[in-house]
Parts: sequence; structure tokens; C-alpha cells
Amino acid sequence: MSTRRRRIVLLALGNDILGDDAAGLAAAETLRGEFEHDVDVVASGEAGLALLDILAGYEFALLVDSISTGRVPPGTILEYTDKDFQKVVGPSPHYAGLPEVIKLARHLGIDFPRQVRVLALEIAPPMDFRETLSPAITEAMSPYVDRAATILRGWLAATP
Amino acid sequence: MSKRITIDPITRLEGHGRIEIFLDDAGDVERAFFQVPELRGFETFSLGRPSEEMPRITPRICGVCPTAHHMASTKCLDDLWQVDPPPAAKKIRELAYNLFMMEDHYIHFFFLAGPDFVVGPDAPAAERNILGVIGKVGMEIAGKVIRVRRECRQIMETMMGKVIHPVFGLPGGVSKGVTEDQRTEWLQTADFAVEFAQFALQLFDDVVLKNKDYVALILNDAYAHQTNYMGLVDDQNRVNFYDGEVRVVSPTGEEVSKFAPQEYVDYIAEHVEPWSYVTFPYLKKIGWKGFVDGPDSGVVRAAPLARCNAADGMASPLAQQAYEKMYETLGGKPAHATLAFNWARLVEALGAAERVKELLEDREITSDNIRTEPTATPSEGVGIVEAPRGTLIHHYQTDDNGILTNVNLIVATNFNAAPIAMSVEKAAKGMIKGGVVNDGLLNMVEMAFRAYDPCHACATHSLPGQMPLVATIRDRSGKMIRELRR
Repeated sequence: MSTRRRRIVLLALGNDILGDDAAGLAAAETLRGEFEHDVDVVASGEAGLALLDILAGYEFALLVDSISTGRVPPGTILEYTDKDFQKVVGPSPHYAGLPEVIKLARHLGIDFPRQVRVLALEIAPPMDFRETLSPAITEAMSPYVDRAATILRGWLAATP
Repeated sequence: MSKRITIDPITRLEGHGRIEIFLDDAGDVERAFFQVPELRGFETFSLGRPSEEMPRITPRICGVCPTAHHMASTKCLDDLWQVDPPPAAKKIRELAYNLFMMEDHYIHFFFLAGPDFVVGPDAPAAERNILGVIGKVGMEIAGKVIRVRRECRQIMETMMGKVIHPVFGLPGGVSKGVTEDQRTEWLQTADFAVEFAQFALQLFDDVVLKNKDYVALILNDAYAHQTNYMGLVDDQNRVNFYDGEVRVVSPTGEEVSKFAPQEYVDYIAEHVEPWSYVTFPYLKKIGWKGFVDGPDSGVVRAAPLARCNAADGMASPLAQQAYEKMYETLGGKPAHATLAFNWARLVEALGAAERVKELLEDREITSDNIRTEPTATPSEGVGIVEAPRGTLIHHYQTDDNGILTNVNLIVATNFNAAPIAMSVEKAAKGMIKGGVVNDGLLNMVEMAFRAYDPCHACATHSLPGQMPLVATIRDRSGKMIRELRR
């Protein structure tokens, strides 16, 4: 992981051998070219408390991740902010999710980003191991990357 | 004609296990199924690749226990390339592995089981989370949980590369040694870890064992199954997470079999059901007798309590004391209470912490001799470790150049798939009578399968960070008559 000298982190989550699950990772690789001098770009297959370790110390965090809500077509961009993370219910079978991690960090007074945003790209549930993205997700990649870039540029313009 | 209740997590997050409950005409539970849409094609994905890549590929199967796959795969390569790592390399691997076990067990206890036991099974859903646990145990303890796992992970990262994608295991050894400075520094973490593990057990004692209702819940027959138990043991039949032989004991505690990893195919077979992609391993000697427990069943459980049942004890003094105390309360060995898996997890965490300390007190761990170069021609290998959730088997076959021609993995949740289905069914039977569905059904069923700490998926995601459950109850015509939602 890069050193924490920057104030903004772009955190890409996903499994790089699970087809469209790697959508966030692919987007981050494209964004790396423009932003790597100003933003820490971190790719990870982790979840739960590990996110606490990764995100602690930054002021702004943008997460790019795939999601399967089943409510919108694959390729749809869904955006979440802190407001969407207010409700924390019972635990998942494995680990704390992002909402729980944010609440925990704030509760414990851990130095955590004051703004956390998530750009999730809807995908069909990936059931097969492969190293390529589907046509629908490949097509969606350009607008997805543009939208993430807009958020990052906004933060960079607002921070010295 | 049966009617069907489906409990279906809305999202796929960590693998969307689905529970289907079929009622008979009287409205009682006829059968319950725990279905997992398992990821497919890993074997196909692997074939034709160099076997040496497997310790780097297989951690991607599961974002929850990458270290377990890395280590099982590395040990499989030792066997495949017929190479015995130097003692220091084995100790370094075991050090990393015990750090991982400890950290993983704490996450489960404090974040997943904690809400059930520390906050309470009947507490409002909004309080049954880590914040509820903190509210009960205090901020100082929460800080210690965060600290112990952070320090464990920092050491693992230094040793193995990224925790999620370790790269240090090689056939015949490891890629990186431990320096004297590191050994000394890490011993401080080891001391803290041993202290914290004892503290966690004391917390369990104070909060859970002193509460009669909780003890009654743990010992409740609705959560018990008399099955066979399996786990790796050392040469004195003590629990070992990294290496040893696989020992299986019967529901009454007699040794059924004990075998070297390479012999597993002689002892373990896999049953297939048309409604599930998951295979259901069973004891070959007994045969597949269905989703049943008892002395004639071939079902074998893996997991913390199963390991404790399969062993004669723990390998370190404090963990051994905790082990004895646990069995005293549970009424002797083997213990069948599924919810006591959570207790065994803390006993094992203490054992792992003590082993970490013991390994770091051994100066041989700083030896430069950390690799034996393979020279043999590969053909077939098996590697077995105890993942936090239970026994994990990697089995590879290759051509003369080490290119994979066959891959078989049996993960802990495979072993536990039949027991999970049985536990879910038993819990459902207790909560649904005459067509009346108790509102506590979801939580009871969840507690039953959560105790196994199951892992079914390899997609690691952060949103929405919860597993909503929906129980759909349908009449005999298939029309929904009620829906329970959490």
C-alpha cells in the first residue's frame, strides 16, 4: 500500500478472477493514470474491518465496487453517500460491512474520512471464475470511470 | 402437498445462502434445505496453469480466508514437488498461520457471534451489532479488539505480502525470513495476544456463562447434533492448525480413523444432491446415509468444536485449561452443541496466541535456511490445513512439467454443508408448529448457521454490509400468505 501522505483515497474492491466482480478494480486502473499523483489508489479484495485499516487517516474516500441489487440492469451506476449508511442491522455471516465499519470508526473516534462515497456498478451475480468483463460491463466502464473522475476532481479542487 | 417457506438474503454479498423450508399438510416442517449457489469453474480456471501459481490464485477463491487457501496450496506444492521445507520455514509458516487463525476467530466472536451472545439473542435487531457489543463491554475492550487484530495483520503483511493475497509460500519453504529485530518486536504482540485471549475467555465467562439463559440456549437440544468430528492433530493427538494427521472421532468420541493428508481419498467421499452445487463430504467407511446424525451417519463436522472433539487436548498450557473447563460445562467430550462452536473458537484463539509466542521464543525462526529447492518431477500432491471454519483440502495433479491436469478442493463449508442443513432444519422444526411461524424463526435459523462461520463466496463486498433475510411463507397453492423480513 502507498504511504498515507495524501488526503484522498480511491479504493477499488473486487475479485480479479471473478468476471464482472472486478469492475471496480478495472475502473481504478483506468483512473490511476490521471490521479495517481494526487490520490492514493488502492485495490483490494478485502472487506469488513480491513476497510477500517485502509481508510483510516484519509479525509475523503471514494470506493468503486460492483454490486448486485437485481433491481436495475447491469451497467447501471449506483451512488451511495454516508446518509445511506445510517442503518446498521445484524451482522452478515462473515464480517462487518461498510456501514458498520463507518459507525464503528466514528464511535471509537478513529481518524476516518469525513466523506465516504461509493460508486457501485450493477452487475449480474458472477458465478464463474474468469479474468474478463462481460460486454455490458465493458460498455459501462467509460461512463463509470468518468463519474468517478468527476468526484475526485471535485475533491481535489476543494482541497489545497 | 407441501407448502414452501423461503428465507432468501436479498443480496449476494458474501454468497447468498438460501434457506427453503417445506411444510407438510399439518403445517409442520417436513424438510429444510440450505442452498448455496456456489461459484463454478474454479477447476477449469486452474487447469493448464503452472501449479506454482496456485498459492497466489487460490486465496482469491475466498476473501474471508485467503491465508488458509494460500497455506493449504503451499503445502500441496511441497507434496507435489516432493520437497520437505527446512525447520525454520515450517515455523515461519506456522507463525503466520496462527496469527491468521487468531485474528479470524476474534472477528467472528466479537462481530458475528458477539451480537447474539453479548448483546443477546432477543435484543432488538438494531442493537445486535458490534456497536451493541461495545455498548455492553465498553470502549476500552473495543480498542483492544481493534489493536490485537491490527498488530496481527501488520505482522502478517510484513511476512506474507498483502494479507488478502499472500505471496510468501513456495514449494519447499518461504520467500522471506524473520529477522532478530522482528522476532523481538513481535514478541510484544504475542504477549498482548495471549493476555487478550485470556481476557476474551473471561468475558465469555462473565457475560455468557454467568447468564443461565445463555447457557441453556447453548445446551438447547434444538442446536445439537450427534455427528462425527474431524480435525488435524499433532503426534500427541493435540489440535494443530497447520500440520499433522486428520483424526476423526465418532459421536461417542471413539477414534474412527486417522490418516495422512495423501490418504484422504480413502476416507472421504463427496455426495451430490440435485438441488445444490455444493458437494457433501462424508466418511467413506460409513457411507452416505442422508442428512441425519447419530452413530450410523457418515456426516462429519469440521469447525472449532469439531477440532477440539477430534483431539485429545490443546498443545499449550493455558488453552488446555480453557479446553478442560469448556468440556466440564458442556458435559464431557465430545460436545454436540453447535452454539458452543463460539466458545471453542475462543479456546482456539488462546491456543493460537500461545503458539505464536512459543514460535517467536524459538531463535531458529530467524535462520537463513528457509527453502529447500525442489528437484523431483511432480505428479500429484495433497495439502491440508485447518481453516478457521474447519478442515481444508487441496489436491492437485500435474504433468511432468508441473502443469495442472486436475484440481480438487474440499473447503470447510463443504464438510459443514450437511450439518448446516440439519441444524437449520432442526431450528425450523422448533419454531414452526401447525403452520404457525414464530417470529423468532429468522434469528434462530441464522444463529444456527452463523455458528459454523460458513463461507460460500468469493466476492468480497462492502455494501450494503448486512444480510437482510426474508422468509416467505406460501400456502399449498404457492400463494404467499406471510412474509417475515429482517
